[in-house]
Amino acid sequence: MEIQRIVALIKMELKKLIREPAYLFLTLLFPAVLTLTFGLAFNDPELGMSFDFMVPGLFAYACIFIIMTVAQSFTDERAKGLLKRLNTTPMTSGDFMGSQIISNMIIATSQVLIVFLLSILMGFNHNANVSGILLAFLIIALLSLSSVGLGLITASISKSAGTASGLSFIFILPQMFFGTFIPVTNTTRIIAQILPSYYVTDALTSIFNGDALTSTNILIDFAFVSIVSIVIVIIGIQLFKKLGNK
Amino acid sequence: MVIRSKKYDSMSHEDIFNPDNNIAIEVKELKKYFKGKFETIKAVDGISFEVKQGELFGFLGPNGAGKTTTINILNGLLKPTKGTAIVEGYDVLKDLKKVKELIGVCPQEPAIFKFLNARENIELFGNLHLMPKEELKERTNNLLERLDLLEASKRKTKGYSGGMLRRLNLMIALINNPKIVFLDEPTVGMDPRARRSTWEFIGSLKNTNKTIILTTHYIEEAEALCDRVAIIDYGKLVEIGSPKKLMEKYETKNLEKVFMKITGRRILEGM
Repeated sequence: MEIQRIVALIKMELKKLIREPAYLFLTLLFPAVLTLTFGLAFNDPELGMSFDFMVPGLFAYACIFIIMTVAQSFTDERAKGLLKRLNTTPMTSGDFMGSQIISNMIIATSQVLIVFLLSILMGFNHNANVSGILLAFLIIALLSLSSVGLGLITASISKSAGTASGLSFIFILPQMFFGTFIPVTNTTRIIAQILPSYYVTDALTSIFNGDALTSTNILIDFAFVSIVSIVIVIIGIQLFKKLGNK
Repeated sequence: MVIRSKKYDSMSHEDIFNPDNNIAIEVKELKKYFKGKFETIKAVDGISFEVKQGELFGFLGPNGAGKTTTINILNGLLKPTKGTAIVEGYDVLKDLKKVKELIGVCPQEPAIFKFLNARENIELFGNLHLMPKEELKERTNNLLERLDLLEASKRKTKGYSGGMLRRLNLMIALINNPKIVFLDEPTVGMDPRARRSTWEFIGSLKNTNKTIILTTHYIEEAEALCDRVAIIDYGKLVEIGSPKKLMEKYETKNLEKVFMKITGRRILEGM
């Protein structure tokens, strides 16, 4: 892997984020709007609704949409012949995938920062210290890895950007409803327990409650998210190499 | 490890770049078959040819003849079903990374990041070729100036005309100062004036001792620019030689008629 290539590709990805309105909305404005909306709608303890309970889920929720942006971006660039053109240069797949992973980690971190600051503005109370907040950011960065992987899997089986948007909901919806801020039932917990977002939300809830960062619960969640995210991104890269780059 | 064809086995590195043995591309019995649901499509069916260093070599033939498939094998985008392809002494199957360092590819449809401006597009590809910063800046300016895009270079390419996009497409292929340039229909969709000016530019590349592989539908383009042309039809190489010699051989006034005499149809029929 070459740093010069990876930096050039990351710059290109971040310029796309800033200059393409659809990507800008999905990645940065959407989490902001979501946080403000939820902060206003669900911040009434008298009615039994706690915004504090929802914030960890909002962190994960924002990051899940990376699945859609990655899937759309890859199918679109493939359709326009851009991936083929990149492949005529000495760039390796390691350079390319490395740049995708790093740029999406930067995006995920920005999303979390927006959600976190707006949540504080909306009255979010937490007991996490600086180390806890940094760990929360790291866990979200790991979740972005799994989102990139699921985006690549979606792009591999989609023929167009439109199809990719639709198909990405196969991975988005379960994580949205069973793994973030919506309370799970005994039945949905079975599904939730195979989803990385469930463990991310669980770990973040513990961190914001002020639990020790070395608590078994947080460590197990961290280990699960790390392993599953790495496995998913490897599957995504392999599948995209085989099917998606044609 | 550098894999060379048998012809190069006994040669040193210097021999390969010796003008007396100046083969830039060597293709032998190249085949590319695509398996469909009901039949196998023979896109390239056993073609062999050589291109000399510094030569402007044209691929002529109707749509679907196998021109782009051959180019895509030579630049590593497709793997051949059978046969060998050697580029500047490197086997495309065994030493593709080295091949990619030496080539520049201008695809048929402009492949450009629309949210970037022209300069950013060119510099992105220069960085992928690991060009030093200063050299990249200088060469980018040079290309933008020569192809008349310097003024528009800071504008996002989203608003560019078709001709501007085609010129930018060409610049990206040249940013790494490649030894071999693949130009796949570089002037399709250009108005006659822009086409003429691009021809002049392509012609001027010969002075820099680059080997140019040009695929085209335009007979006039091939006649005006190419040192030699290969005529391809149904995946087979049906004739090869300089435009002048081919016209003399078939006693015709243009290459279109040469093609017609050989195949019984017009090149443009396939379009």
